[in-house]
Amino acid sequence: MKRREKIGYLCLLPAALLVLVFVFYPVAKTIWLSFHELRVQTMVDGAKFIGFGNYEKILRDETFWKTFRWTFMFTVISVSIELVIGMGLALIMNRKIPGQGIIRTTILIPWAIPTIVAGMMWSYLFGQYGMINEILLKAHIITAYLPWMTEEFYAKTAIIIADVWKTTPYMSLLLLAGLQNVPKNLYEAAAIDGAGKIQQFFRITIPMIKPALMVAVLFRVVAALRIYDLIAAMTSGGPAGTTESLSIYAVSTYFRYGNWGYGAALSVVMLVLALIISLFFVDAMKSKVGE
Amino acid sequence: MKNISKKVIYLLFFVIFVGFMLFPFLFILFSSFKLPKDIMAIPPKLLPTQWIFSNYVDAFQIQPLVIYLRNSLIMSLLVVLMTILIGSLAAYALSRTEIKGKKIFLVFLLLISLLPPVTIINPIYQLLSKVHLLNTYFGLALVITVLELPLAVWFLTAFFNTIPKSLEESAEIDGANIVQVFRSILFPLVKSGIFIVSILVFIGAWNQFLFALVLNQFEARRMVTVGVTLYITDYLVPWGVLSAASIIVIIPLILMVLALQKRILSGVLEGGVKE
Repeated sequence: MKRREKIGYLCLLPAALLVLVFVFYPVAKTIWLSFHELRVQTMVDGAKFIGFGNYEKILRDETFWKTFRWTFMFTVISVSIELVIGMGLALIMNRKIPGQGIIRTTILIPWAIPTIVAGMMWSYLFGQYGMINEILLKAHIITAYLPWMTEEFYAKTAIIIADVWKTTPYMSLLLLAGLQNVPKNLYEAAAIDGAGKIQQFFRITIPMIKPALMVAVLFRVVAALRIYDLIAAMTSGGPAGTTESLSIYAVSTYFRYGNWGYGAALSVVMLVLALIISLFFVDAMKSKVGE
Repeated sequence: MKNISKKVIYLLFFVIFVGFMLFPFLFILFSSFKLPKDIMAIPPKLLPTQWIFSNYVDAFQIQPLVIYLRNSLIMSLLVVLMTILIGSLAAYALSRTEIKGKKIFLVFLLLISLLPPVTIINPIYQLLSKVHLLNTYFGLALVITVLELPLAVWFLTAFFNTIPKSLEESAEIDGANIVQVFRSILFPLVKSGIFIVSILVFIGAWNQFLFALVLNQFEARRMVTVGVTLYITDYLVPWGVLSAASIIVIIPLILMVLALQKRILSGVLEGGVKE
């Protein structure tokens, strides 16, 4: 081995070790645990191998399916809204337009605020006698205060609104990065050929930023699927567990109910979900790694 | 005519958008100066009838906020230090040496950022408990360093790649060793990249919640994101005090964002998607 090569491996070693200890080992351990029955209350008996027992239980577990459906719905709805608004914002930020600096500074504020604090802020705003109800009432959109935090449908809507507020900025920045790489002369050529603005958007902009767009959507989808902080801060999963996400369910299975085997199986299901979704984006990832 | 209506639409969008983005922050800011009777007022009011400062005093008395802030600061700085050190070594290896498996390593790093934290949290808890690193700065910082590593390595590798190799080669011909090359040629050139990554990593570490909640439960080592939720009790939510505490937690971040807006933006933009 050449000396330079040796130095290369040596430099990579600390990062590789950290990944090995804090990612590979825990993932392997969780997969192993998911095939075992192990509870904190009966820890002295040790782990008992039960094959796919935990997974069979998941299939029959109504709480799991309820949290799964909501987490899935939350992901689809909020990422779609974020994509549309984020795209609009990115297009605006990519132009020379008055107030540009203010928009750029403004979007960094929700991005920088810790999700847990953002969640508490929004739960205050969405309170029974909170500011959102007051504004909607003054604007004659509603005639009586809405039960934002205490009824399932409204609580879910509130969570989605808060998530859109918090994460659209990041989405728009990822899209803006893609837009900045599109050569301007493409649009000039298209304009000469008589293509309108809308045609230009679908025929030039979208195909040109597709890799950036796919990466942005992938990251947001995977992040939305594992949502924890925002819901923990806004509703703690309530009312009556209806806004519990998969992560919240898994964490409480682990640490509140002390059921490690079942918690592990729930986590593995989430991991598999994230991997399946990533498969749809293999091309996008290739473009990020570089051929 | 068409031009004017376009301008009006843009202005309308601008006001609504900026309003929506800033409103929650401003509302919390105003609430932090409100008397309890203003907090309780039905219908709610935007501005305090009388501006008071006592919520801020209470915020420090009800919870040991100074300890929480100190903990978050120490832990986040530790994360920045470790991420930059380990990340730039890795980036150097990936950008400058002929090692095998570069792409595999980069793909694995990408997968880490896609990993749901619940898949690793329980074994990590057990592991840190065994080696007595629960409720320590170092233990939590190690875990968060791993989570921040993908961002740092990706960004720094891209940054190293923009620097022409000829600079180092000529230094090496002159007899400089690798440490000298790194210190006197590479480091000054990647300084600005390292700075941006440090800011992004710092914000990421400061804002961590789930791992901080599970791994550092003792008050003496509790992070501020966890501590700030403890103002809420079963009986009431003291919104005035909670607002003040929230403002204290986010003010450093907002000041940082305002001061470094251009560099943070360029960091996110370049680290985000550019090849």
